[in-house]
Amino acid sequence: MNVRSAVKVGAVALASTFVLAACGSKNSSSSKESVNFEESAEIATMDQSKVTDVVGFTQLGNTQEGLYRLGVKSKVNNALATGTKESKDGKTWTFTIRKDAKWSNGDPVTAKDFVYAWQRTVNPKTASEYAYLFSGIKNADKIAAGKASYKTLGIKADGNYKLVVSLDRPIPYFKLLMGFPTFYPQDQKVVEKYGSKYGTSSDKLVYDGPYKQTGWTGTNLSWKLVKNNNYWDKKDVKMDTINYQVVKDASTGLNLYNSKKLDVANITGNQVAQYKNNKDYVLRKQSSMFYLQYNMKKEKVFRNAKIRKAISMAINRKQLTSKVLADGSGNPKGLVSTGLASNPKTGEDFASEAEVKSAVNQNLTEAKKLMAEGLKEEGKSSLSFTLLGDDTASTKQITEYLQSQIEKLPNVKVSLQNVPFKTRLTNSSDGKFDVVLSAWGADFSDPISFLQLFVTGNAQNNGGFSNAQYDKLIKASNTTDSTNPEKRWDDMVKAEKILMNEQGIAPVFQQAQSQLWSSKLKGVVYNSAGVNFDYKNLNLTK
Amino acid sequence: MARYLARRIFYLALTLFLIASITFFLMKLMPGTPLNNQAKLTPQQIKVIYEHYGLNKPVWQQYVSYIVDAAHGNFGLSFQFSDQPVSYLISSRIGPSMQLGGQAMVVGVVVGIVVGSLSAIRKNTWIDGTSTFISILGISIPSFVLAILLQYYLGLKLQLFPIADWGGFSYTVLPTLALAASPFAETSRFVRTEMVDVLGSDYIELARAKGLSRMGIVWHHALRNSLIPLVTVIGPLTAAIMTGSMVVENIFSVPGIGEQFVKSILVNDYPTIMGVTLLYSALLCAILLLTDLVYGIIDPRIRITGKGE
Repeated sequence: MNVRSAVKVGAVALASTFVLAACGSKNSSSSKESVNFEESAEIATMDQSKVTDVVGFTQLGNTQEGLYRLGVKSKVNNALATGTKESKDGKTWTFTIRKDAKWSNGDPVTAKDFVYAWQRTVNPKTASEYAYLFSGIKNADKIAAGKASYKTLGIKADGNYKLVVSLDRPIPYFKLLMGFPTFYPQDQKVVEKYGSKYGTSSDKLVYDGPYKQTGWTGTNLSWKLVKNNNYWDKKDVKMDTINYQVVKDASTGLNLYNSKKLDVANITGNQVAQYKNNKDYVLRKQSSMFYLQYNMKKEKVFRNAKIRKAISMAINRKQLTSKVLADGSGNPKGLVSTGLASNPKTGEDFASEAEVKSAVNQNLTEAKKLMAEGLKEEGKSSLSFTLLGDDTASTKQITEYLQSQIEKLPNVKVSLQNVPFKTRLTNSSDGKFDVVLSAWGADFSDPISFLQLFVTGNAQNNGGFSNAQYDKLIKASNTTDSTNPEKRWDDMVKAEKILMNEQGIAPVFQQAQSQLWSSKLKGVVYNSAGVNFDYKNLNLTK
Repeated sequence: MARYLARRIFYLALTLFLIASITFFLMKLMPGTPLNNQAKLTPQQIKVIYEHYGLNKPVWQQYVSYIVDAAHGNFGLSFQFSDQPVSYLISSRIGPSMQLGGQAMVVGVVVGIVVGSLSAIRKNTWIDGTSTFISILGISIPSFVLAILLQYYLGLKLQLFPIADWGGFSYTVLPTLALAASPFAETSRFVRTEMVDVLGSDYIELARAKGLSRMGIVWHHALRNSLIPLVTVIGPLTAAIMTGSMVVENIFSVPGIGEQFVKSILVNDYPTIMGVTLLYSALLCAILLLTDLVYGIIDPRIRITGKGE
């Protein structure tokens, strides 16, 4: 997903400790557990086919359920699926679905609900902005191009409790996708009942996950998640109520936290410095990477790798993350975010394994040399360009910092253009920029979520980077090597190294969210991609 | 009077129409779409989304249907809340903003009048000095600084009022105080100047000479006459404050329209921008009209029958 910077990504839990003490010394049967959570923005929609933001995915991940739930480090655990069979060629998957799963209205959850949901999402009429994730499932690309009916999608219900999915080509990260809300089932009866109003408020939905949502009117700032008594695994759900409040101001969140009304808060900038050594401090690495794209289509100078390298080498990323951002954001090791995925054999983190040190470290002497050589090759004596970025306060700081760093190179002039988020996206895809500060967050915990962006012709490849060897490696990882995890891994590591050595893009920093979490809260699963927070097993230690 | 009113209402409608038109075309000049993920959409999907928002038609058709719909109170669908009509967004968010704005105006203006009058009566004493100092603070301290201070001291440290959130009356106290600073400062400065003026005029001298009590003079003659010009200041201020403040609403987590308006600009949510702009303009026009009418009532020298000179 495209990432913006100032609107902090991430759902946060704020737990209040008042475990209704009213029942006191009497029997404890009626003691209800509740926590108060904070969310950084409003819910835009709860329609699974239409959600595109982190807030929505967190809500869906906790109120709905698909074949799998993802555990710590994106470990795939059975949820609605009780059994999975993959054919030898990796192109047919057969899932057995549990018979005791129910929607919150009492309807059973069946294989047909999956078929309906998937067909609805890929149907161009639904205009789902996440339908592209279905690419690779049989006929999905044809349906998207309008060349086949959505009914031809490779998914079939064999009776009520067996689901068969056919693929055009093996998808190495297929299981991770099955844990992503876009692939969850939908109750046809309910979707059709509410029509275009489906998912626009909490009563125009049904839930098959650990919690039901109540009190969201479509535009308001507070709502609740309450334990879903129709959930098949309700015995493992310890929390009765999660209260949500949208808090957009970090100091408000902190004040609420300090007044013990809330037990978790997002903190930023100065607050991080102040609370870094607090026992409640938690640093959540996000899978969001900020990087510079050079418009090689428009500006010939940027086709010169020396010039790109010089710009990248002029940037002191350590200073940027520790002094300018100072919110826990980290130095990038490459395009793929740290902590996203680890080597299937050795367990080593992808980012560390593929790191090209010269691509992300400052070296001003070398940078000056490369810039001089590059300019000479291009027959120019100076370089001036505009750096495009978002118009939020934090992005302005970042672009100003980058400007000051890059202008340390002799004869280089950088001007800044800061525009609203969507304008930046439009200008990027229309090629109306020289250099742009872009950001991308992984949709699922696999390096390919980042690496496929810079294949020749990819829609996110705004700068027009193109390298035949890179394209070949990415293609191999998706085709010939897709069923061989180790070989596929090597392909991706090599590809990332090419991208970094060539400086097709220049990574700037990896976003992180600093939080304060009450130590009483246990059982939270955090993942940097997909559904960020899973509260199914959330509980309070007594 | 009826003719005057009819004419004014006609001009009001004309103004709104012009504002709606200008906003519409300005928005059309800006880049941006309702799409969140444009690069990942197929042309067919984009077509469906454009049709959904009526963006597939030629601009003049969009314009006509926009004006017609707007006249019926329908501003289209919000880009950021999927399938949520802008009119619903506004109607569900305007309440808290208006409540806070109204309370802030009442508090600010009443306290402002009292402080301003005291200041004028006791001109060049310590009372005057102190109140001038306070109102200059009120003008120069940005509302977000005041909001944060109030939240920290009255909310967190003394725990007198809730830190943030929206519930009963107690939740409105801190945001009301934060918002009241500016109308208070404006009013007290204005009333002081006016009253110093009035207190120095001949008829006050006459009243004094006739032996009226000091309080009587201030209450019956000075105050009423110095408040008349205040009406012109309060009008537009009310409109501005009742349509919400982004910073104050953000800091106190108030589900108001001000914060939503600014956010809609940041994410290019044109239907919401236009809806709120029109609402704000309508409110301002209505208040200006009301101001003129009230003026005639409280100041006998101005009669709006159109006769006179």
